[in-house]
Amino acid sequence: MDVDKCIACGTCADKCPQKVDDEYNERLQKRKAIYVPYPQTVPLKYAIDPEHCIFIKKGKCGACEKFCPSGAINFKDMEKEITLKVGSIILAPGFKSFDPSQHDTYGYANLANVITAIEFERILSATGPCMGHLVLPTEFNKPHPTGPKKIAWLQCVGSRDMNRCDNGYCSSICCMYAVKQSLMAKDHSATPLDCAIFYMDIRTQGKDFDRYYENAKKKGVRFIRSRIHSIAPVVGTDGLLLRYVEEKGASVEESFDMVILSTGIEMHPDTITLSKRLGIDLDHYHFVQSDSFHPVATSVPGIYACGAFTGPKDIPQSVMEASAAACSATERLAEVRDTQTKKIETIPERDVSREPIRVGVFVCNCGINIGGVVNVKEVVKYAMSLPNVVYVEENLFTCSQDTQDKMTELINEKGLNRVVVAACTPRTHEVLFQETLINAGLNKYLFEMANIRNHDSWVHANDPDAATKKAKDLVRMAVAKACLLSPLQEMGLPVTKSALVIGGGIAGMTAALSLARQGYPVHLLEKAESLGGHAKRLYQTFKGESIASFLEDLIREVKIEDRITVHMNTTIAHVDGFIGNFNTEIETTSGKKRIEHGVAILACGAKEYQPKEYLYGEHASVMTNLDLDDLLKIEDPRIKQAHNVAFIQCVGSRDETHPYCSKVCCTHSIKNALEIKKRNPEANIHIFYRDIRTYGVREDLYREARKQGILFFRYEPNEKPIVRHDGDSVQIAFKDHVLDRTLSIHVDILCLATAIVSYHDQGLAQSFKVPLDSDGWFLEAHQKLRPVDFANDGVFVCGMAHYPKPIEESIAQAQAAASRALTVLTMDSIKVGGVTAHIESDLCSGCLACLNVCPFKAITFNHRKGVAEVNQALCKGCGACIAACPSEAAVLMGFNNKQLYAQIKAAFAA
Amino acid sequence: MTKGKQGSVMVVGGGIAGIQAALDAANSGFYVYLVEKSPGIGGVMAQLDKTFPTNDCSM
Amino acid sequence: MPLNFKNRDDDMEKEIFEPRIIAFMCNWCTYGAADLAGVNRMQYPPNIRPIRVMCSATVSPHHILRGFQSGADGILVGG
Repeated sequence: MDVDKCIACGTCADKCPQKVDDEYNERLQKRKAIYVPYPQTVPLKYAIDPEHCIFIKKGKCGACEKFCPSGAINFKDMEKEITLKVGSIILAPGFKSFDPSQHDTYGYANLANVITAIEFERILSATGPCMGHLVLPTEFNKPHPTGPKKIAWLQCVGSRDMNRCDNGYCSSICCMYAVKQSLMAKDHSATPLDCAIFYMDIRTQGKDFDRYYENAKKKGVRFIRSRIHSIAPVVGTDGLLLRYVEEKGASVEESFDMVILSTGIEMHPDTITLSKRLGIDLDHYHFVQSDSFHPVATSVPGIYACGAFTGPKDIPQSVMEASAAACSATERLAEVRDTQTKKIETIPERDVSREPIRVGVFVCNCGINIGGVVNVKEVVKYAMSLPNVVYVEENLFTCSQDTQDKMTELINEKGLNRVVVAACTPRTHEVLFQETLINAGLNKYLFEMANIRNHDSWVHANDPDAATKKAKDLVRMAVAKACLLSPLQEMGLPVTKSALVIGGGIAGMTAALSLARQGYPVHLLEKAESLGGHAKRLYQTFKGESIASFLEDLIREVKIEDRITVHMNTTIAHVDGFIGNFNTEIETTSGKKRIEHGVAILACGAKEYQPKEYLYGEHASVMTNLDLDDLLKIEDPRIKQAHNVAFIQCVGSRDETHPYCSKVCCTHSIKNALEIKKRNPEANIHIFYRDIRTYGVREDLYREARKQGILFFRYEPNEKPIVRHDGDSVQIAFKDHVLDRTLSIHVDILCLATAIVSYHDQGLAQSFKVPLDSDGWFLEAHQKLRPVDFANDGVFVCGMAHYPKPIEESIAQAQAAASRALTVLTMDSIKVGGVTAHIESDLCSGCLACLNVCPFKAITFNHRKGVAEVNQALCKGCGACIAACPSEAAVLMGFNNKQLYAQIKAAFAA
Repeated sequence: MTKGKQGSVMVVGGGIAGIQAALDAANSGFYVYLVEKSPGIGGVMAQLDKTFPTNDCSM
Repeated sequence: MPLNFKNRDDDMEKEIFEPRIIAFMCNWCTYGAADLAGVNRMQYPPNIRPIRVMCSATVSPHHILRGFQSGADGILVGG
């Protein structure tokens, strides 16, 4: 397949006689042996599946080659081996979904309505086999499916299971996706739908996850704490019977129409083979063996890993690790930066301001994709009749390289100064054609597209006359706009090649070091008088590494790094500027001074909740996990002398004041409990919890704790344990759910697993024009895809300022923030202008309507002139100000009102 | 030491992690080879309908 | 209540009324969705004339009124 020639018209797949199970849709439907995996595939090029192609297998057929209109298929093409020299390698091989066929008691292999969660994703998806309609697998081929009335989700299938498989870890994502699927299913169902999730612990430890879970409960999703052993068919129907034990001990039988197995993740055998070949150490679950302080490093120098390969994780964490891996992988290569990338040559731009308007129109057939429906010849003839149009041409493929070359010539030869292409969509092809304009010496904004394929021939395939009429209308509208286009300038602003990092904890120091090692000067601000933050009090990581010794090294490295300037006892007074050009006033004990920097990283951390409950501060036996870490570090005799120790989880977390999970406390308590057990094996340890959230491979600790006889008692938020003074010890009264009665114990040490709370630093947030969420955490630009960025470019977040997280995640996020910052610092200049808003000061009445609607805070009020002004560097070109402006003073360049009115007027002007 | 060092990075896997790693490395001045075994990038995320907790479309 | 188009035009009563619709489509969502409808070969009536905008927030009452002035029977703002 020649990807340069393939125009993704789909003729080949249409003609291919071989049907194959479609992996993208989890084999729920068929595809062809020549295919694109899904309609939005990047690159959108057809590929031959050699396992199923009849020509490759049997030497006969070749239908695709025969019918391909662009000659892209070449069966003589052979597999080639290519040797590449690279500076470093990043492995992101992902995961495979656990295959539940091996669990015969679930009947996945023979009960049609038992499916996996990933199959259910495809059923729910609008691009899936059911077009997003909630349909039972047994009803797939029925004309009028009724859909399920009751769905059950079974959690921990292929996770937290050492009996039926060897996956002892928690897959970390299944609780959340099951909750999501239950809500989506309710949304998609035409009739009321009963959703029940059978679980052991609900693990919604991420940012905003607990709210999502609570919301699902409110919407009627049933959460039943029970691990289901088997699924039985209801005889004579397609129904499925589940037997479970209720919390009070009663045995229940309930039938469902559909059961979804919340399958965990595991490593693909190919990934394990690849790791062996590369010599990378894997842990006992085949995840990358890494230490907490180098989360994306592998055992082989120069090879880095990210995503599910380093342990089960969700999308935001994968994206953070990916950025972290990019930063770590290029650290050693900083001195060869820009040696293998190419610089774009610039061609001088023709001044068209004094030229009469000369529009050229290029109408594309797109093989038969347009030409097979729309009468292209008629459209060409019509375009010729439009005002200011001096040249019209019909192309088989306007996007092909030879047409582009020809277009460049024609622009000069015919003196064209506006170009309209009637073809596919600007979303994929505008950039390509703009490139051609640039090559011809025309400003790239003198270009307009008429979408006569995606919006016309493809969607009106059965009505060629109407499609042709619409194509003419679209061309007329495009030409009307094109006549009013003017060149737009993009300006390059210089970038200050240094960074400001706020916060001298682990996250801040890591980010600062990463940037310094990449060659950029860093100002590191710390409000306290020493570096280290809260990590100074932490004892060990969940893997058992000493945090103190790591921290010592880190602080030393920061101090000896020439490119880092540390500012102690310092706060931010005022911030001016924007991406690449910040100017910040800092306040130190010795007075104020100004720092120029191109980027800012907010790593200002969080703090421990100071409990008012459970006799904290009133009784010497009651302490927090940080206090306990102190005792463990100094080997306090109380650890060895204690007979009874207890931990109470969720103190200040998951309540009304802090409706989120603090993420680290379950692991912290269990790790400390195990440490006490190690030093004092006779101690009885009790842990009072709501859900144990030892996600990922932390689950090993939980299993170990149970094995060592640490006792776990669950409590409900409305029946919290009651703590009373009892001389030197404290008494804890609690409800035992199994016995259904109140018990009490006396403990020498009561450790409270306290919440992590934010500083709610509104001042800092406002200084950098970034938002806080309702819990006071800095709110990133996009929770999934831009987890360390802000909508305000050039400002990044990492560590606990973003959300509570363990050290390895803070470090990964800090490296990610450095990585994102590098994409700015390595730029020669910041491009501003293009499609941005502009305010005509003559028309502006200074009403501030635009200022209030601007989502990017790009508009300021010039008090001297009494008018609003747009900062081109901050404007994203959304045009919200245009709609808000009562006097049409605000103009969106490239989409101005004159142009839009012309399009509107032309829409029905035939 | 510069001698022999390559200003390029290979990223193995074109899922969301691989894509992000490739973008960041490329945008900070390194040539990137993104290697994916299937005909398209996107990985498992492209199969998902919606993503939690924002219910954004996965595409 | 269903819309009553009866008194629009005398001609209209003679033939089947086909509304003319202008659709303002946000580049980042609706326009892309309309592209995908094409990729998936979904079929819909050819009455829509799309206008691409950079955000639905940029569409003001002026644009809507101009749309009706130019003969549109309906306006869709997608964002």
